[in-house]
Amino acid sequence: MIKTIELLKADKRISDWKLNIHRRESYELFFVKGKLDCVRCTDTTNNRVTVYVDCDGFRGDAMFYVYPASTEEERKALIDSAVSRARLVKNAPYTLPADEEESYIIESNFSEYEPVELAKTIANEVFASNETENAAINSLEVFVTKHREEIINSASISKSQVHYDAMVEAIPTFNGESQSVELYEQYNFSILDLPALREEIAEKMAEVKARCEALTPETPPSCPVILNKAELSQLFRTMVADLDYAQVYYSSNLYKKGDKIQPEGFGDRIGITLKGEIAGSYRSSRFDMDGITLGDLRVIDNGEVVAYHGSNKFAQYIGEKPSGDLPCMELDPGSSAPERFNDGPYLEIISMSGLQVDFYNDYIGGEIRLAYYNDGTAITPLTGISVSGKLSRVLAEIALSSERVLCGGYFGPEKALIKNIKIF
Amino acid sequence: MGFSKFLSSRIEALKELVGILGRDFEYVSILGADTKSLSIRADKSSSSISEGNDYDSGFVVKLSRNGIFYEYSMDDIDPCIPALAERISSSFPAEAFEGIPAISRQALSDEPLEKNFLRESDIDSVSEEDMLNFCRSLSAELLACSDKLLNAFTALSYIDTHKLFISKNRTLTQHYTWCNGVIMGVYKDNDKMVQPREIAYGPDMGGVMAQLPLLKDALIKKGDILSRAKPIEPGVYDVITDPSITGLIAHEAFGHGVEMDQFVKDRALAKEFVGKYVASPICNMRDGAASTLSAASYFFDDDGVLAGDTQIIKDGILVTGISDLSSATQLGTAPTGNGRRESIRRKAYARMTNTIFEPGKDKLEDMIASIDHGYMLFETDNGMEDPKNWAIQCVAEYGIEIIEGKLTENYVSPVVMSGYVPDLLGSISMVSDDFRVIGAGACGKGYKEWVRVSDGGSALKVKVKLG
Repeated sequence: MIKTIELLKADKRISDWKLNIHRRESYELFFVKGKLDCVRCTDTTNNRVTVYVDCDGFRGDAMFYVYPASTEEERKALIDSAVSRARLVKNAPYTLPADEEESYIIESNFSEYEPVELAKTIANEVFASNETENAAINSLEVFVTKHREEIINSASISKSQVHYDAMVEAIPTFNGESQSVELYEQYNFSILDLPALREEIAEKMAEVKARCEALTPETPPSCPVILNKAELSQLFRTMVADLDYAQVYYSSNLYKKGDKIQPEGFGDRIGITLKGEIAGSYRSSRFDMDGITLGDLRVIDNGEVVAYHGSNKFAQYIGEKPSGDLPCMELDPGSSAPERFNDGPYLEIISMSGLQVDFYNDYIGGEIRLAYYNDGTAITPLTGISVSGKLSRVLAEIALSSERVLCGGYFGPEKALIKNIKIF
Repeated sequence: MGFSKFLSSRIEALKELVGILGRDFEYVSILGADTKSLSIRADKSSSSISEGNDYDSGFVVKLSRNGIFYEYSMDDIDPCIPALAERISSSFPAEAFEGIPAISRQALSDEPLEKNFLRESDIDSVSEEDMLNFCRSLSAELLACSDKLLNAFTALSYIDTHKLFISKNRTLTQHYTWCNGVIMGVYKDNDKMVQPREIAYGPDMGGVMAQLPLLKDALIKKGDILSRAKPIEPGVYDVITDPSITGLIAHEAFGHGVEMDQFVKDRALAKEFVGKYVASPICNMRDGAASTLSAASYFFDDDGVLAGDTQIIKDGILVTGISDLSSATQLGTAPTGNGRRESIRRKAYARMTNTIFEPGKDKLEDMIASIDHGYMLFETDNGMEDPKNWAIQCVAEYGIEIIEGKLTENYVSPVVMSGYVPDLLGSISMVSDDFRVIGAGACGKGYKEWVRVSDGGSALKVKVKLG
């Protein structure tokens, strides 16, 4: 890309420019019912160029991709086209991040392994984790990827980082006497921890057995509901998405600073800090696409919006300090000890088709694939039921666990007890 | 605009690569992509022109040996083809996979064919400046329509797809374009903020730009509807689905379950129902890149198989599923032209294309009149598949209450449909005689592998759980 940078520097029509390079090297294994179906190896690079053109008090920008094999003439033509496009775009001016030069390696132990061996090790561990009789992993996909990301801009930003991630997509299946059932499992990590992987898969195998044994009740119970980490991650990610600088600029945010995003009630008060990095999270990053160094930002405190967050341009448009696009989220621990979640009656959701969270319509709900119903005396697996409720009433009385866990880019309470939700 | 110069310039080198790799592998093919997309948008105070996220450029080499597929994805081919062939081969050392049981599959066919496919588009005749000015003007017009709109967005986009497929006996090229437009508002009324949107789509940008301005009133009306919508009382109701929700049912509730890579994994209950009733006898459903002209219409799939038009349900009976090359060779069936990749970086899977319920004989007004109390549901929000166990989750943007055979002014939003697929499809009691395909969708498999899709059909009368 040196040639492209030279062309950008030499072009007097261009006020600023930015180059994002993302190289991905992956090794991937695909199994069907324990047999090897496909092996994939990829080595690809995305070269994204953004040019900024200042004209008549406005700033325009245009992004384009450059092929690694593009000739000098082709690159000149791409730049010409981008300059023309940027001149048409008349936005308020803003500046680029400037004068930082860093190189990072995000913590991972993947570099200790050959990619093919790492992928095989992960696959072997997943299959070995199944000790449940009549259970199988009908489909397994293992992706091991090394990312090298680099950003260079005309304002002397030059940053790079190397990070790794692995993704396991497994379909645990249980073959019962009268039916066969499955669950969906996606597990992402950046540090190989075989006991943790084994525990995760073994738990899923037990759950799929429970789904096979689960009943659809004639009369659904009426009781509090327990949400687990995956649903909590989704709920609170939807909450903070409303506080993005771009949403504020576009007048489409529901909540403003000082608003109680969590209504008053008896529940634990919600506190959320957005972060660039969380130890062990595959989503960790030191900088965003603009090259802004990512730190910590408290966005919700005691249930109240205290800050917005987001990218460089929109931050400047609304007169805020750019936080950068923060990929990780830490939720304050709650006040409920683990044993509080053992006392029935409750319905603990284990697997959903997808939690629906809608702040616009004040709605939370969805279809349940597996839940454990504790009536106070015994625990029964249930399926074929749904939940539905008013989001504001749920948030007002939410009880969060004091135990916290990592789930993707979420570090926070492992469970939450919610009330005022109809099971049907 | 002709076929991609980038891909054309690599054809001879790719044929050489196929020849060299063919000495060590039973099957070799290469898919090349040079797909560009452009997105132009404007709101009340800003605008943008940018290449879109559908950018896809490079090559994926697909090899087969002893039942296992091997794939190598790269941005470009090295000038030294023998060295490249060696690099690809050495990425898959046979000894690394010794002892791992492999799939049993029938031999891959490679029927001779050389063909160049082209679907004409007007995209080169519409200037980017005109498109941007159109977006600015329409957003301004929308804002002038209602003081309840806090902001209005107009966006135009297109995907210009160039693909090349080469194997020992086949050389195929295809070039086609699909255009989308959307208007969206930030609408506040009744102490509630909502984001109504209207869409237009087609093979030509001129058509999209002609349609969008006609949707201004519909957008404002939808803003009003959504702002007044109340939560629905959960329960089981008689329901009429508009074509968007019909398409959502076709796609999420049933379509994923007939993707035949799920058959080989024993992940699809539908496998046990081929030749049996899975729906009401008035129900007919099909899928295929050639089944209609829409967002997922192409000439050959990413396995080099020509586009198909597959009858999935005939008079309520499941006829067959849809397949990619890998699942077809495991099942011993002919591939249906449904092998699709998110990009050259990703694997091909059996994927839906344009998935539709065929028209019936009923009049929509008669269908509504037949309901004492229920809802008519509109506009897809999202959905999730469960092919093994046929659970349903389909989310509609809003519904209108039907009382004593008439649509009322009582709106509900959002509406989550749930239940069991055979119960839902078996409950179809009326199918309207009109038909519409919504060509603006994208679909993942599980939570990844996003591809463009369309779906739709006719209005259905069903009984289903809403919440």
